[in-house]
Amino acid sequence: MASLETIMFVPALACCVLAMTGYLLSLLVKKVSLARVSTWILAASFVFLSLYLLLAAFHSTGWDYFGSRHFLSIYAWVIAGIYLGLQFKTKTRLLGAFIVPFILLLLIAAAGYGSGKNLVPPQWQSWLTNLHLVLAIAGEALFILATAASAMFIIQNGLLKRKKPGKMGKLLPSLGELDRINHLGLLWGFPLLTIGMIAGTVYAAFVWGGQWPADPKVIWSFAVWAVYGFLLHQRLAIGWKGSRIAILSCVAFLLFLSSALVIRFCFATVHNFI
Amino acid sequence: MIAVVGLNYKTAPIDVLEKLFAGCSREGNFPAVLKAIPGVHEILHLSTCNRVELVVSTDDDLRVLDLLKSFLVRSGALTNNEASCIYVHRDEDAIRHLFRVASSLDSLVMGEAQILGQVKEAYRRALTENSTGIILNRLMHRAFRTAKRVRTETGIAANPVSVSFAAVELAKKIFGSLAGKKTLIIGAGEMAELTCMHLIGNGAEEIIVANRSTAQAEILAEKYHGRAVGLGTLDEVLCDADIVISSTGAPSYVVTEDMVRRCLRKRKNRLLFLVDIAMPRDIDPAADGIENVYLYNIDHLQDIVDENMKSRRRESLKAEQIVHEEVAQYFNWLKELEAVPTIVSLRSKAEGIVRMEMEKASSWMGSLESDDRDKVEALVNGIVNKILHAPMTAMKEESAEFQSQDIVAAARQLFRLDD
Repeated sequence: MASLETIMFVPALACCVLAMTGYLLSLLVKKVSLARVSTWILAASFVFLSLYLLLAAFHSTGWDYFGSRHFLSIYAWVIAGIYLGLQFKTKTRLLGAFIVPFILLLLIAAAGYGSGKNLVPPQWQSWLTNLHLVLAIAGEALFILATAASAMFIIQNGLLKRKKPGKMGKLLPSLGELDRINHLGLLWGFPLLTIGMIAGTVYAAFVWGGQWPADPKVIWSFAVWAVYGFLLHQRLAIGWKGSRIAILSCVAFLLFLSSALVIRFCFATVHNFI
Repeated sequence: MIAVVGLNYKTAPIDVLEKLFAGCSREGNFPAVLKAIPGVHEILHLSTCNRVELVVSTDDDLRVLDLLKSFLVRSGALTNNEASCIYVHRDEDAIRHLFRVASSLDSLVMGEAQILGQVKEAYRRALTENSTGIILNRLMHRAFRTAKRVRTETGIAANPVSVSFAAVELAKKIFGSLAGKKTLIIGAGEMAELTCMHLIGNGAEEIIVANRSTAQAEILAEKYHGRAVGLGTLDEVLCDADIVISSTGAPSYVVTEDMVRRCLRKRKNRLLFLVDIAMPRDIDPAADGIENVYLYNIDHLQDIVDENMKSRRRESLKAEQIVHEEVAQYFNWLKELEAVPTIVSLRSKAEGIVRMEMEKASSWMGSLESDDRDKVEALVNGIVNKILHAPMTAMKEESAEFQSQDIVAAARQLFRLDD
């Protein structure tokens, strides 16, 4: 990694750690002002990360320059971007406390990996694979957002159902807002993921050859995609709302997470970027 | 001396307060009458439904306070027994009392916001009647400042302590914004109306009133630009509402679990907030088991209110500390208004100026003979003393007659002794 890129990556990671601490403290002392400051720190982290990725893009001629560190960074960057963008629309600062752990984990993983693997093998580079990669990451990032909102919904719902809103209830956003964020996450995440997967499929069918449907990542991805499709359908057509969809969103996400982990450690596939 | 003479809900039963309140209203422009009492310099009359108080700045003479007390007894036509409810606070105690009242620490519902407005109104009235002066003006400004600090630096007013406000806070926790939310009121009771009023104040829009007698429902509906329906169509209107407030006198459940379940299906599981403030209950408690339904009855709301009240009491300790600081500051200022310290500081300021100017002039004065230098110094001192003589004598004379505060305050301002 070029040294100038490191100069950008390190502060991005440091800011993210700081933001995470701020969010946790705000949960602990139950003060939303701390979460507000943390959001700004996260924005700083986002700026550093953007500069880092921009520098990397300047260095590269194609995707061959991008390794696992870049993959993880892009992932973190997209999640942070979506969360920060959402802050313009709703005032749910505390959502960060549930989102930032993901960003931080991705950045820590990114710091740990040098440039082990190529994100896209040189022979497969094409605009279709680019599209596939970017849209799949964006879709999954939106699912993470929906999951974080759902986790908060479950906590707030429990407090309100037990008739003890207390300080924690005051701190957490309202059920209506959290449900809306879940709705937005599913509504935008699903089509993005779908288009991303179609792009991947089309490319694979033409270039990869006959064995692509046997790739474990592909099989699992279709399963997760179907689950989210079911969720969105129930939400839009049947009218599932509130706690049921919140619980199912969390379950779907756990499924997605465990599939990613199982594939990473148990199978050999071209989709293992780290 | 600053004093507070009066009575409040803590010392007097409500009927005595009412008698006095009515009596004072009958007196008309009585602050002017009271200000005419020899020894009374400034006066402010504060009267709310919980207290009737006179805040005065007077001579150091207890007889003046007795006169004010008997004025209250007379205008309220109080019996001897009732007159014993009247309290008198003096000096620091009086200042602390007023600051606590303005900060709502002395209120029946601690932390309520109305009292500050009432104190401000009383002060505005006093200003138009020209019955306050330098002492009370500063006292009132300090009281407002204290109240503001208490409000912003402590959480004393943070959580609702009335059942209706608690319900509104919960609605906000469930829906976020109340804009566009529909409210159904079942039973046209007073409590339901109060809650409804708060909901509208927080952005709730459409109101539906369902009552056994549609005539009464219509009166309430008209007041809030809503529509009135009979109890027969309850099943139907329940599906429209996001917030339901029920307070009928019905002996059995008006809203059953089954009704709620049916209507939730119709409204595609949108969140529903049910508030049951009736006794016996109107809404089947089993409805709370349904997903996306939040049912709060009067006991739940009361528990929240009690919890908030406890937290207000904890916050009040911080507030008392703020009051303590502010009282000390004001009392210091008041003490400085006595003549002797002002005369001393005026003299030392003048001496300081002379010393400084002489030092500045030392460069060219060095060429003078020492004899001439002494003459110049004597001349300067003479002039300064002559100028200061008149204001200092005036302060001394006034202080002998216990009325020095105005003139002392003026002197402090004119000579900038507080800078």
